[in-house]
Formats: sequence, C-alpha cells, structure tokens
Amino acid sequence: MRERPPIAQPFPGRQSAAPFLFPAVGILLLFTVFPFLFTLTLTLSRVSLVGGLRLDFGGLTNWIRLATDDRFWNSLSNTVLIVAAAVTLELLLGLALALLMNRPLRGGGIFRTVFILPMTLAPIAIGYTWRMMYHETIGPLNALLDMAGLPSVAWTSDRHLAIFSIILTDVWHWTPFMFIVLLAALQALPGEVIEAAQLDGTSGWQLFRHIIFPMLVPTAVAVTLLRTLEAFKIVDEIFIITGGGPGVSTESLTLHAYYTGFLSFDLAYGATIALALFLLVLASALALVRVTRRYQAAELWS
Amino acid sequence: MRARGVRLALIYAALCAWGLFALFPLYWTVIASFKEPLAVSQGATFLPWVDFQPTLSAWRAILFGIEKETVGRPLANSVIIGLGSTFLVVVVGAMAAYGLTRFQVRAGPLGNQDVLFWIVSQRMMPPIVTGLALFLMLRVVGLIDTRTGMVLVYTAFNLPLAVWLMHNFFKQIPPSLEEAALTDGASRPQILWRIVLPVSAPGMVATFLFCLVFAWNEFLLALILTFNNARTMPILIASQHTQRAIEWWSLSAMSLITILPVVLIAVGLQRYLVTNVLGGSGR
Repeated sequence: MRERPPIAQPFPGRQSAAPFLFPAVGILLLFTVFPFLFTLTLTLSRVSLVGGLRLDFGGLTNWIRLATDDRFWNSLSNTVLIVAAAVTLELLLGLALALLMNRPLRGGGIFRTVFILPMTLAPIAIGYTWRMMYHETIGPLNALLDMAGLPSVAWTSDRHLAIFSIILTDVWHWTPFMFIVLLAALQALPGEVIEAAQLDGTSGWQLFRHIIFPMLVPTAVAVTLLRTLEAFKIVDEIFIITGGGPGVSTESLTLHAYYTGFLSFDLAYGATIALALFLLVLASALALVRVTRRYQAAELWS
Repeated sequence: MRARGVRLALIYAALCAWGLFALFPLYWTVIASFKEPLAVSQGATFLPWVDFQPTLSAWRAILFGIEKETVGRPLANSVIIGLGSTFLVVVVGAMAAYGLTRFQVRAGPLGNQDVLFWIVSQRMMPPIVTGLALFLMLRVVGLIDTRTGMVLVYTAFNLPLAVWLMHNFFKQIPPSLEEAALTDGASRPQILWRIVLPVSAPGMVATFLFCLVFAWNEFLLALILTFNNARTMPILIASQHTQRAIEWWSLSAMSLITILPVVLIAVGLQRYLVTNVLGGSGR
C-alpha cells in the first residue's frame, strides 16, 4: 500500500539516510531476497545432497513436471477454494459483526475482546483445538449433534467435507481481523454525514447501502487484499487437523511443497511448487491492487 | 420504544451467538487440560464436576513432573528466540523507519515511498519459498537448528511489519522538536537518544508486542529450520501428533501455555490496535 509522501523533511540533504536504512536492507537482502533467488535457481536445477550440496543445471525439467502433475493442480485448486470461500465468509461475517457493534452497547468492550481473541492464537494450538472439536467419536460437535437427535458428521474423514471443515476453522481464526479493521473504519466515518442523512429520513438498509457502504469500500477492499495474500499461504492448521488428507483432498500448495521438499527430500521440485505459489500470490496482489486503485479513484470522482 | 427493545435484544442475541462460537473451542481446550484420560476417551464430556471429575494431573506432569524436561527446553527457546528477534527487529525497524520519515532518500530513481513499499512488500513472500533455501543456507554456515539462526530468520520475517508500524508512528511525531534541538546545538546521537526515543516509546512498545506475537506463533519456518536443539513450542506441540495416540489432556495444557502470554498481550494491546494502528491504515 502506498502512502502520501512523508510530510516531515526537516533536514533535507544535510545527512544521508543510508546509515539508518543499511541494517534493514542488509537483513532483507540476506534473508529474503537472496533465498528467493536461491529458490529460483533450485527450480532450474538438479540437486544432490550426497557429500555436500551440489547443483547441476536441469533446465525446465521441474517446471514441465509441475505442469503435468495432478497432485500440484489438486493442491492449487484446494488452495484457491479455501482462499475464495474463507475470505468471502470472513468479510461478510466481519462486516456484519462490525455493524452490530458500531453503536453504544453495554458490555461492548467485553464482546470486542472476545471477538478478537481467536486471531491472536498460535495456529498450531488452533489446529489441535479444532482437531478435538471435529473428532468423530470423542469430539464435542458430534456429541452435540447426537444430543439434538441429529446424525454424526464425518468432519475430517470425508474427502468432500474435510476441506469445508478447514474453511470453517479459518473463518473462526480470521473473521476477527476483518471485524476489528472494519469496526475501526466505521468508527472513523464522519458522523455529520450520517446524521444529515438520518435527518433527511434515510435509515436502515437505505442508510447502509447509499451512505455507509460507499465510504467503507476502500477499507473493505484493503482488508480483503491483505487477508487474501495471507490466506494463500495456509498450512499450519491443515498440517494438524488433516495432514492434507483424506488422501490429498485438503492439501494446500505450501503443504504440498513442504512434503515434497522435506519428506520426499526433492528440494528442487519442492522449490518449484513454492515458486508457483509465489507467482500466484504476486498475480493476485497485482490484480487486487488494480481493483483497490479503481475504487479509490471512484471515491474521488463521486 | 417496544420495537427498539426487540431490536436491541436481537442484536445482543447475535453478538452472544458469535461470542459462544468464538469461545467454545477455547473452553473445550481448557476443560480438556483438566480431564483424566478416561474422561476424554469415553466420549465427549462438557461440564466439570457434573459429567467429569476435574484433575490437575496433566498440569502437574508438565509443571513439576515427567513432562517438565520435554517442555522446558522448547519453552526457553520460544522465549529467547521470541524476545531476541523482536528486540533486534524493533531496533533495526525503527532505524529504517526513522531514516524514511526524516531524510530524502535517493537511490537511483527510487525515493522514500519506493523504498518503504519495497520493504513492506517483502511480507508478501510465502515463507515456504524462502524456507527451502534458508534450510540449505543455514546448513552451510552451521546455523541450522540454532537459536542464533532462528533469531536472524525471525528478524527478517518481522521486519516489513516493524518498519510499516514504526513508519506510521514516526509520521505522527512533529519534526519541529528535533529541529529545535538541532539549532540548540545538540548532536545527532543526543537527539536520537534524548528526544526521539522517549517520544516514540509507545509506538515501539506496540511494535515490539506485535512482532513478539508473530515470532511466538510462527510454525512453518521453525518446522523446517529446527529439529531438536532450537525447536520452539509450536514444534513441540506439533510433534505430539506423530505419537500413536494423542494425549489430549497434556496437549491441551501445552497449547494453553503457548496461548496464554499472547492472550494477555492481545487484551492489553486492544486499544492500541484500534486507535493507532488500524486508524491510520485504512486510507
């Protein structure tokens, strides 16, 4: 996200910013940019770890393999389904909660604290918590269904249902993020505009649709962007809840790359899958930034 | 008036429903840590003293008994790696953010905004991309499965966030203070130490806590880059998964030990999150 040029320029040209920037840039070059280039090299190599690391040029072999690998396309479509479904649900639910909370409420502070709690927890702990929830014989969800006289659900062992259980966990984990950002945005809206509209007799759905919603759009687009880019990297909860199973029906791109690189110890091909994920994230970022620009422009025009 | 009361009741009902959904999994984890093995394996039990007799045995095993050795080292690793990397990232990130808000950067065609954007955009990089290469790099230089290696990796991991947050804070501090001190003949280091640091302390504390939470919760990089010596709490918890039968009670207690510090931080940070961080980000 770009921001306005810095307002504060007290000592232009008097001293260089370089000494201040040097450590940060150095660390990023060493631990992000260099590894990235290294991974890129790996995708074009044959790797041997016997008797020290050796790389031989392998051409596009890994990329060709990727294009014809069913398991890769499966993990790609799983990842896209999780991202699309989870982010949409999180946005809608987060918006609904923010709208409900955007008023003076007794106990509002307590609700807010409770609502944001899940997003702060370690994904690994969340994974186990939900693995307990979904447990088919000793888990509480099926026990509650049973009490209500309903049949048990194969939350994580049904190959079609398992991915929706993953999505439900992600919604539990990340709706709080959408909620808290949208609530902050709602509370920052100019009160006069809304009051004026209310004096004109606008209320309820009309007020939301024509007054509040348009002002909320830039923030909603921004959180959707942030959340989407993060959701593409999903792995921790899947690793614990299903391990990618049953079969490979919940395997995400990161998990597939991890298994390939570190369980099958095929580093070069694992790197290729990882880089495909990077390209996917990059493409989504560029697409979403375009959308962001358009909406902000629209806001300026109207 | 009547309609209004009904409306309010409906709003509260919706909020309570979501609150229940948010809290129930946590409630389940808490009660699971107080269950006997039989109270877990014989089917779901919901209420302590009503359908199961709570026990402290899982907690006792972890805090004083046989599990103490298992948990001790990963917990120490999590604390050392978390605090070490977070301290480093706040210093390095604050320096960069200060440079970017107080100086005109000219690196070829790139200005301040471009450098800031480049740093922040590094957050987009999926950890699995760098993780694969870092595994080989750290192996070569002998930093694999070491605390030092993890401190450096997490510093890089959190740097984009730290620079972005600190940049937002420094932007809000008027530079006139520093200008005045400069005309009074104060030296650069003096200005930094006496004026900039005290004024930006709240921002640095918030940044520190945010980065600490991310480092504390991080899983994938730790999974790839540590085995035994430097493994952190998330890795310890994940390793319970490979055992034949999961001991839910002790697993729940370990999860709660990992969760608790973060929950305390989050509750404390809440107001900051809403006013200072998010308030300035959405536009």
